[in-house]
Amino acid sequence: MNALIVAHEGRLLARSGALWAVLGLLALALGFAAWSGGRNVERQLRGANDAIAYEDGERARMRRDTEIYAAQVAASGGAYEFAMVRHSPGKGPPQGTNAGAVGAETSAYVALPPTGLAALAIGQSDVQLNYLPVQMGTTLEMIKQVEIENPVNLQTGPLDVAFVIIFLLPIFILAMTYDLLSSEKERGTLAMILAHPVSLRELLASKIAARAVAVLVVVIGFGFAALLTVGSQLDQAETWWRFAAWIVATLLYATFWFAVAVLVNLRGRSSATNGTILAGIWLMLVVIVPNLVSLVATTAFPAPSRMDLIVAARDAQTEAENSMGQALDRFYSEHTDHIPVGDQRAMDFLTLAQANAASIEKALLPLYQRFRDQILLQEGLVQRFQYLSPAIMMQSALNEVSGTSTGRYQDFVEQATRFRYEWNGWFAERFLRREPLRPADYDLFPKFQYRPEPTATVWARLWPSLLGLLVVCLGVVSAPMVGMRRLEVAAR
Amino acid sequence: MIGTIARKEFIEIVRDGRFRWVAAIVVLLLLTALLAGQQRYAAYTATQQAAQGTSNAQWLGQGDKNPHSAAHYGNYAFKPLGPLGFFDGGIVAYAGTTIFMEAHKQNFAIARPAADTSAIARFGELSGASILQLLLPLLVILLGFTAFAGERESGTLRQVLSMGTAPSRLLWGKALGLAAAVLVVVLPCLLIGALLLATTGLQTVGGGLGTRVALLALAYGLYGAIFLFLTLAVSARASSPRTALMVLVGFWAFSAFLMPKIAGEISKVAHPSPAYGTFMTQMREHQRRGFDGVSANAKLGRYQAEMYRKYGVDRVEDLPFYWTAVRMQKLEELDQPVFDQHYDAVRDAYAAQERVQNRLGVLAPTLALRSVSTGLAGTSLLEHAKFQDDAETFREEMVAKMNGYLAQAATDLNGVNSATNYMIANADVFAMVPPYRYEPPSLAASIAAQVPNLVLLAVWSLVALGFAWFAVVKLQPEARR
Repeated sequence: MNALIVAHEGRLLARSGALWAVLGLLALALGFAAWSGGRNVERQLRGANDAIAYEDGERARMRRDTEIYAAQVAASGGAYEFAMVRHSPGKGPPQGTNAGAVGAETSAYVALPPTGLAALAIGQSDVQLNYLPVQMGTTLEMIKQVEIENPVNLQTGPLDVAFVIIFLLPIFILAMTYDLLSSEKERGTLAMILAHPVSLRELLASKIAARAVAVLVVVIGFGFAALLTVGSQLDQAETWWRFAAWIVATLLYATFWFAVAVLVNLRGRSSATNGTILAGIWLMLVVIVPNLVSLVATTAFPAPSRMDLIVAARDAQTEAENSMGQALDRFYSEHTDHIPVGDQRAMDFLTLAQANAASIEKALLPLYQRFRDQILLQEGLVQRFQYLSPAIMMQSALNEVSGTSTGRYQDFVEQATRFRYEWNGWFAERFLRREPLRPADYDLFPKFQYRPEPTATVWARLWPSLLGLLVVCLGVVSAPMVGMRRLEVAAR
Repeated sequence: MIGTIARKEFIEIVRDGRFRWVAAIVVLLLLTALLAGQQRYAAYTATQQAAQGTSNAQWLGQGDKNPHSAAHYGNYAFKPLGPLGFFDGGIVAYAGTTIFMEAHKQNFAIARPAADTSAIARFGELSGASILQLLLPLLVILLGFTAFAGERESGTLRQVLSMGTAPSRLLWGKALGLAAAVLVVVLPCLLIGALLLATTGLQTVGGGLGTRVALLALAYGLYGAIFLFLTLAVSARASSPRTALMVLVGFWAFSAFLMPKIAGEISKVAHPSPAYGTFMTQMREHQRRGFDGVSANAKLGRYQAEMYRKYGVDRVEDLPFYWTAVRMQKLEELDQPVFDQHYDAVRDAYAAQERVQNRLGVLAPTLALRSVSTGLAGTSLLEHAKFQDDAETFREEMVAKMNGYLAQAATDLNGVNSATNYMIANADVFAMVPPYRYEPPSLAASIAAQVPNLVLLAVWSLVALGFAWFAVVKLQPEARR
């Protein structure tokens, strides 16, 4: 690198409107993307908080009813009794004394907390529900809900910082570099420069350095500003190592595109031809290859249709209802400690529903498993094919860094599923024993605590993408060394 | 004269190295996309039809039970693809495919295919429509950006103009030559695709296939013309071919990639729609308050008193119908306006968002074309809204029929409070509810929704033509320094 050339290029660039236009547009795009990404995360969080507050409110109301009831019982000296489930107002103990009514008719929402960088890459978080309603009943009831959003907007995809980096940053880089050498050559200045004691390598490195500094200062600077404004958990070390990985990925990706521009320039074609070739490379790597990989992945390992899952669930339901006696027998045989004292198999609506749900759940388990396996197979295929395009690696890396990857969501669903069994078990036990819930029992309800994945797990998913980017970068950066020897410095 | 220019332009383009590359890529992608679309369409349709058939049968075969319990068991609506879904998948992967129709509750469409695929799908779906929307303009630009700027650079433009060639003839000749070169690539693909589709005997839902295809061809033709004239205009104005290329590729990226996303975000600000949790909370709170601030329970109490008065009785046992069923049906009717208000608000917000995006088509023709394409393919928001509205109507009728039957058939159970003493009905009763069948919106409705977008495309192409005309009239034989 030559300080004089870098400074000269810098001055030239600073005086041309093009640089400021490119940097201005890039800054504008990043600012807009950070703002809209922030709005997106905020909307999801509001949804989660509203749902949680509503259901907590429902349970708090039931608890208050039991407190009033307990006071009445204490005053009148009667027994604290268990209420049958009913859906219209009536006399007797309040519904809050019935564990089945509380566990099946209110939901405990479990939420996947966003990482500090969630606003920078929306990823799949807009098509998946980040807060799941946990109830007694079946897992299907929990996983079938979807976040609601205009499908037109989902198809278009959000304008987030990840989009600006994956799609637009290369365009801006290529716009600044497509005529790196060809313009000098067309003006006839290249031969003159190289007649001076400056090697081609030095010249290229200096030209690139001047541009890269300008672009990267804007990108990293705005990325940092975005983190400070729409990011969260800034006091957590995790946020900062995630941001460090974000910077590494962004630098690698930008380096790749600078190197591609150099490589094309070294073929010695005209500026217009370079522009065409680079536009073609961008289109290939950012649009066409990812589309094809997606096509292959979804054709080779299509996710089993949810429509089939739903139909199978209904078959299981009918089956369970048709053999209701058996379902109830089985249900009670699995809950022998819980047969109510005295009578005793209640044939009420909720018991039957519980018995049914247990049968359906059992029938659906293999289907859930198949579903999950297929998604993981598909994801595995994409992981292997990601090396075909830096854009795919970049998307994978940015989603991972921002905590909006499929892997993190699947882990959350598993945690939620385990918690649902715990929730179901806690309430089923008390409900079947017809054990009345007392106000103090409300403090004993199972509580969901999201366990963040171990850092090592996140890195295990992240490093293949980063390493892939690094390898591709090294390849593209070292390739010009060969081309440089053969460059014709003057137009024929 | 125009013919000569067109022939020269065509030959020049076709013999250029660019043509072979670009043409090969477009041909391969377009054919792949059409075949993949056909395969996806067939697989989806088979699953959907099987699921709907099974679900309808499951309704009848659900086993003898109380009619109200049958309404709880409910039925599912599975959404069929539009008639040209293999060409343009539209929003299908992102809108739910399935609606559960059950007693007491209106539901959103669930089972969204995009949620079960890897994030890579968000790069876009390879379909005939997406290839044409993205690559047709790029094909035009890459083959045409040198049309005037290249001749100016090589000095032939000065010669051509000095021979007294009218600039307008030059424009039409070049436009024809360029259009011919583009069509030579695109048309055979579309014909081969159409033939392949015809031989595979794809079943399509909904009618008016011919009209739809014709209008689609018109829309894509206009879209191509917009970029064709813009390319010629910019090429005529630009100081050098590379400037022309920069400007055109920049506009293409803006129109095809950036603007749809910007428009999406702007529309979300203009017409916000709630997240699931917010929606559910607001709706349930409203439901508890009662539609007009009087709770459903209070209204039911009044209704009961009214019924007692009407039939001159003072206890449930003497009512001439099964009060429990009538009460449940009344509750449905009291909840209905709450559901309607909240669900309709979401549907209307989505439609309003789409309108905002269509209007922003003033800045980017891709937005207008995208809507026309999904609208005519039958894979747009219009179909989805109809699907949801129809499912809701079906649900209301299903529940009303079951409650209505129960109200008459179980009169003797009035006042009997027992969990085991149920009125049990069988498949004959369930058959009162017809099998669910989706009726797509009429062709006229689909077209009517797209008229503004078609007009916008026409205006765009006229403006582009005017721009090209203006640029060619003022054509400079030498680059301005």
